[in-house]
Amino acid sequence: MDRRTLLKTCSVVAIEMMVNPSIFNKLLAQEKELYKAYKKTMLVKENGQPFSTSDIQPNTALLFFYPYASTPCYLINTGSEIKPSKIKLNNGKEYEFKGGIGKNKSIVAYSAICPHQWAYPNKDFSLINYYPPTEKSQATGRSGVIQCCAHMSVYDINNGGQVLEGPAEYPLAAIELIEENDIIYATGVIGPDQFGEFFDMYKSDLIAQYGNIRKAKEIPDKTIVMEVGKYAKEQIKC
Amino acid sequence: MPKNKLNVSRRDFLVGTAALSASTLINFQTSAYAKEERPNLASKKARVVIIGGGYGGISAAISLRKHNKDVDILLIEKNEFFVSCPMSNLYIGDIMEYSKLCYPYNNLTVKHNTKVLHEEVDNVDLDKKVIYTNKSKIEYDFLVLSPGIDYDIKEGQKEMLLYYPPAFKPGGEHLYLKKLLSEFEGGDIVMTVPSYPYRCPPAPYERAALVLNYLKRRNLKAKLYFIDENERPIINSEGFMNAYYELYKGYAEYITGATIKDIDYMKKVIKTSNGEFKFDIANIIPPMKASSLIEKIGLLEKGQKWVEVDTFTFETKVPNVFVIGDSARSFLPKSGFGANMQGKAVANIINERLTGKKYKQEELLMVVCYSMVSDKEAVMSETSFKLNLETKTVTPIHREDNIRKEVNVKRYYEWAKGLWREMFG
Repeated sequence: MDRRTLLKTCSVVAIEMMVNPSIFNKLLAQEKELYKAYKKTMLVKENGQPFSTSDIQPNTALLFFYPYASTPCYLINTGSEIKPSKIKLNNGKEYEFKGGIGKNKSIVAYSAICPHQWAYPNKDFSLINYYPPTEKSQATGRSGVIQCCAHMSVYDINNGGQVLEGPAEYPLAAIELIEENDIIYATGVIGPDQFGEFFDMYKSDLIAQYGNIRKAKEIPDKTIVMEVGKYAKEQIKC
Repeated sequence: MPKNKLNVSRRDFLVGTAALSASTLINFQTSAYAKEERPNLASKKARVVIIGGGYGGISAAISLRKHNKDVDILLIEKNEFFVSCPMSNLYIGDIMEYSKLCYPYNNLTVKHNTKVLHEEVDNVDLDKKVIYTNKSKIEYDFLVLSPGIDYDIKEGQKEMLLYYPPAFKPGGEHLYLKKLLSEFEGGDIVMTVPSYPYRCPPAPYERAALVLNYLKRRNLKAKLYFIDENERPIINSEGFMNAYYELYKGYAEYITGATIKDIDYMKKVIKTSNGEFKFDIANIIPPMKASSLIEKIGLLEKGQKWVEVDTFTFETKVPNVFVIGDSARSFLPKSGFGANMQGKAVANIINERLTGKKYKQEELLMVVCYSMVSDKEAVMSETSFKLNLETKTVTPIHREDNIRKEVNVKRYYEWAKGLWREMFG
């Protein structure tokens, strides 16, 4: 790029930023990895057929793995619109949460790895769960949230996974979803993810479950969406 | 600023010992203080030293390193490896192996680029900002002390700790207490609980429940005299009392609000305001106070047991010197989980001072606590403290689950594993 073109580009960008500050924020976010694009992975049903927004009922959470074969996520239909919002971290950095997809913009997805101390749904039990609006937590009295019953962190799924209460210092990472021809795809991760820590902390468990770490870190083209109870023997709520 | 009391150090002793041969003197001096410990970094780099490699110290080190890749972080811990007191009652109750409580410090260096010195701190010169250990001399810019507790008992009674270890400090105490229990064939056991505050509010009550559970599982003819200086269990009172009555009736007598007057550990008799009790073995949990190091370096007010620190920043009267964990007087109950949160808070504060970058100070600190009441069931509690930095107030919210259940045991294990993952993973 020559100097003149560079200056032209910069001035164009500068004007755009004045008009739409979210561009600047996104740039910042990308720099700091508060947004990361991963493979465009198709969500599918257990029978292999594409998963559409009408396949998840309101007040439900289902489990799928993204972006890696071993990193669990919750697909949630809250039944009501989830608007985009700006998420601010304790260090002052910000990023955009894109809100819900689907007819009512009520479908979102989040990583199911607790950003506090990495509890996650495993085959034996899940301590981090979705509490639909119809089901209040006995301990916190909250509903319509994701709550972790290890150390009592509660995340606002209507607001980009921000911490509502408890010891977590970071929000729950959101999964970027898109709809194409009525099929849901996961395309990226929004917010600070915990994948590095997950692979580190659970190395021996993952080797035991998947045979080797490479398999656990595979990035599939398709991912099955299933009932949480079909994966984890016990959903521990509190 | 508190007057720094540099007690008679080994150096002073050596200088005064003219009787020693010249060569011996030289050898002592060379091995004691000649070696100046400075990690392999530019002297201009700011250095944060953390004294104490427990829940508070490790959390402070790791959290600071997460925020700041450049600062020189040095942790001093006298023990070669970490042993957890949280969950150790499960070992005492023969539910968990001791090795499950043990962790190495290696990853602090390997993953977090934090130097760990396995040395014992002799003293700290708060004016000169220098730490003296049994091997080194270390300068600091910021100091975080998380040295834990010491038992507050008279010199003359200290031998009792060997006969009947309290097992409230990591090391050999738990191993010996377990040995006493495993060799016990029936008879009377005495357990004492000191007046609150002490380290880990539910611990003595969990221990009593698990000891009773253990006696029951072994089908022993035994009686536990549970002598409490408090009126009732400090936390999960309902949960513990229900367990004692419903699960261990006939095995125990709970003597509450009793003042302990005298313990004759050789004759095995304890005298209290509520009677005299003979025992075959005992678990005497003495009153506690801040680590004696705190007093030695001049941070403890006369007659006080715990260090006064700023409510919100845990800073002492000495600038850039912080005390966290059980040594500090704080609204947070003395606990590993609490120390873990304080470590993170202090790391944020220090990083702000190092970099000038403002961070959003914690508005919430909390303690989550699980206690097993049998080998299969647990109760739990959590206390959150909402901090208002403008009005300088702290508002506690306390919640308890006093229904003992199996599922709480799973949560308990995950609670501990989460902490250990973060600290050693």
